[in-house]
Amino acid sequence: MRRLPTDRIAKHDAPDEALVIAAPVKSALRLSAVNDAAAALGLAVGMPLADARARYPKIAVAEADEAADLALLEAIADWCDRYTPLVGLDAPDGLTLDISGCAHLFGGEAALAADLVRRLEAHGLQARVAIAATVGCAWGVARYLSLPQRGRVAGEAGRVGSVASGDERNALSPLPLAALRLAPDVIEALAQVGLKRIADVLDRPRAPLAARFNHLMRRLDQALGIADEPITPRLPIPSALVEQRFNDPIALERDVLGTIERLATRLAPVLEQRGEGARLLQVALFRTDGKVFRIEVGTGEPLRDPPRVARLFAERLDVINDEIDPGFGFDVVRLCALVTERSDPQQTGLAAPDHAAELAHLIDRLGARFGLRRVTRLIEQDTHIPEYAAMAMGAHMSRHVEVRNSVANQTRRLAANSVHAFQQDSAAPTRPIRLFTRPEPVEAMAEVPDGPPVRFRWRRMLHEIVHVEGPERIATEWWRDETGHALTRDYFRVESREGVRVWVFREGLFVADEATRWFVHGVFA
Amino acid sequence: MVPAMLSAEPMEQHLSYLRRAIATVETFCEDSPSRALGVGAIDAALGGGLQGATLHEASAAAPVHLGAAAGFALALAALAREPHKQTLWISTDFGSLETGALYGPGLDQFGLSTDQLLVAHVARPVDALFAMEEALKCRALATVVAEFADTPDLTATRRLSLAARDGGGIGLLLRHKASNAPSVARTRWQIAAAPSVPDEFGGLGHTAFTLSLTRNRRGPCGTWTLIWDHHEHAFSALSVGVDAAASDRPDRETRRTG
Repeated sequence: MRRLPTDRIAKHDAPDEALVIAAPVKSALRLSAVNDAAAALGLAVGMPLADARARYPKIAVAEADEAADLALLEAIADWCDRYTPLVGLDAPDGLTLDISGCAHLFGGEAALAADLVRRLEAHGLQARVAIAATVGCAWGVARYLSLPQRGRVAGEAGRVGSVASGDERNALSPLPLAALRLAPDVIEALAQVGLKRIADVLDRPRAPLAARFNHLMRRLDQALGIADEPITPRLPIPSALVEQRFNDPIALERDVLGTIERLATRLAPVLEQRGEGARLLQVALFRTDGKVFRIEVGTGEPLRDPPRVARLFAERLDVINDEIDPGFGFDVVRLCALVTERSDPQQTGLAAPDHAAELAHLIDRLGARFGLRRVTRLIEQDTHIPEYAAMAMGAHMSRHVEVRNSVANQTRRLAANSVHAFQQDSAAPTRPIRLFTRPEPVEAMAEVPDGPPVRFRWRRMLHEIVHVEGPERIATEWWRDETGHALTRDYFRVESREGVRVWVFREGLFVADEATRWFVHGVFA
Repeated sequence: MVPAMLSAEPMEQHLSYLRRAIATVETFCEDSPSRALGVGAIDAALGGGLQGATLHEASAAAPVHLGAAAGFALALAALAREPHKQTLWISTDFGSLETGALYGPGLDQFGLSTDQLLVAHVARPVDALFAMEEALKCRALATVVAEFADTPDLTATRRLSLAARDGGGIGLLLRHKASNAPSVARTRWQIAAAPSVPDEFGGLGHTAFTLSLTRNRRGPCGTWTLIWDHHEHAFSALSVGVDAAASDRPDRETRRTG
């Protein structure tokens, strides 16, 4: 898409005027892109803007905006997802699509290319497409071969080139060396020794060329299909996907959800056959004007039950409803399982209802609405520092932890040789039921040097202390204490005259003439 | 259609139909199992214990008693726990910052192990209502506790109550401050911390609450002072007296003398 920058601007304005894009190159403004009308006037990329203005004072000039160009290219790549999930970005102005195995869905390779060109044209974007067995060959042909002016389908003329597999050598040999994706300095150096076309290097001895010119041989091999070249896809490749296309776009939320459920019904047997369930699902909504919305939901258990899948997306859509503007409707809806996991059929009890599955579904639904990390289990950690002693872990992750814990419990049980699975250590110090994320400073009156507080003022209320337990000194673990100056904390459990119990601590040790700082860190029942 | 609605007789029919519908809703689960609190006087007032499959309310008598109110909610959850069922605790982010977040290591005093407890954090009170309604419909949860700084309206509590009827769990609205706003909850409690009886070593004794039952659909209201035994995980009435509480621990004398 050579005209990408000018097409981006002309989309919104008059298309037939000469338009050039100028960008500063070495402190001079030079043309970085021209549209067809400007090219017809003889303006070319690289020309100084001042020269172009001198020749044609009336041309429209726009400033280069690489970020916007890239955003447009990514949007187009998103849209190209309708042809194949394997879309690679080839900045600044190209896209690579791996259509192996997809072409027949669109009536063959040529029909796919024609459809692609026609649809892009409808959006005001000019594109040249080449289909070849290797990425390198397609790249060169799309950019440097003068394509046949008569196509079988209208609109295809001059835009679509096709190279049969095995024919890369013939197709490439007349092209300039720039078609091999070489760096400009390499092309220049090759030109200096008289090598200008690919045919010039094709049959030369390889060793001297390889020694002098970086990457030349690798690029050549890649273009000819001797060396392998993978496409780096922009998006993760789903492990299973189903999609539905509509002649009449759909726009209502109800219709979208109905479609998702139908798609899930088609996805389920695919997953079932593999003995898998989905852990991460994505719905892609392709809007008619090319915008693509992607909605993801994660699950705690491998899932393939269609109503449950639909329910999760219903929750998610409910939350992000405002962000998804259907415009004139969606013409493709796709459901993919991005991450799958083994899910064996389980024997459910005949008498008792299946609580575990119901709970997992509840966690998934709440997770879809609020975020999976918001539904948590408290996992105890092996540390004395109160803040770190409990960790909130997403409930969807805890399945594995439970398994590990039960194994640990079993070994502990064997070691202790007792029937009881796990007993709390009764000698463990009592801990509050609520803990403040940040300890709250209080004004306290206490015996010096290290006595418990006698009264303290917390949240503008004065508490007279009648019962005290403590102190319990907790110091930062030395491996966490980077500076070596962390203060110890002396914790007291105190009960006020009204019966309110809190966990207070004194920071550091008593130093004469210095105010001691007291904090409330937690609340007991 | 409209004239027919306005005529007297169909209106009467409508009303009687609605009344009957409400009556069935109101009396639906008189036979749903109750969870006894283990204190005779309170269980008698409640008609056997805390009614299941419905909604209850608890609030702190003053903000400073919120710890006690949370402890009471945990104690109820521990008493209402069932095998293979879990407890869900829902709190808002602001609430957690303001009043402290539920702290795992302290919970085993209430007999609630952390692998039976799910904690959900939501951004807004309306999200907490949504989560609570969804959770109450789920039969895998024995108790659902949701904390609210403000009071949910009557419609919201009715929805919660209907959801609890479907799911069979106990719903507990834990309010940060007392209010008399209308609600369909079966019982409404006001909780304050009470001075505890120190243990024999002069340390802090068992947790003590002053419970005021300010609304009860099944019987009289009242005020009791209870203690929660951290070892037995059970309530007992403090009004029995200090002597009596000490006398059922014969080992105390032997320990002193021996």
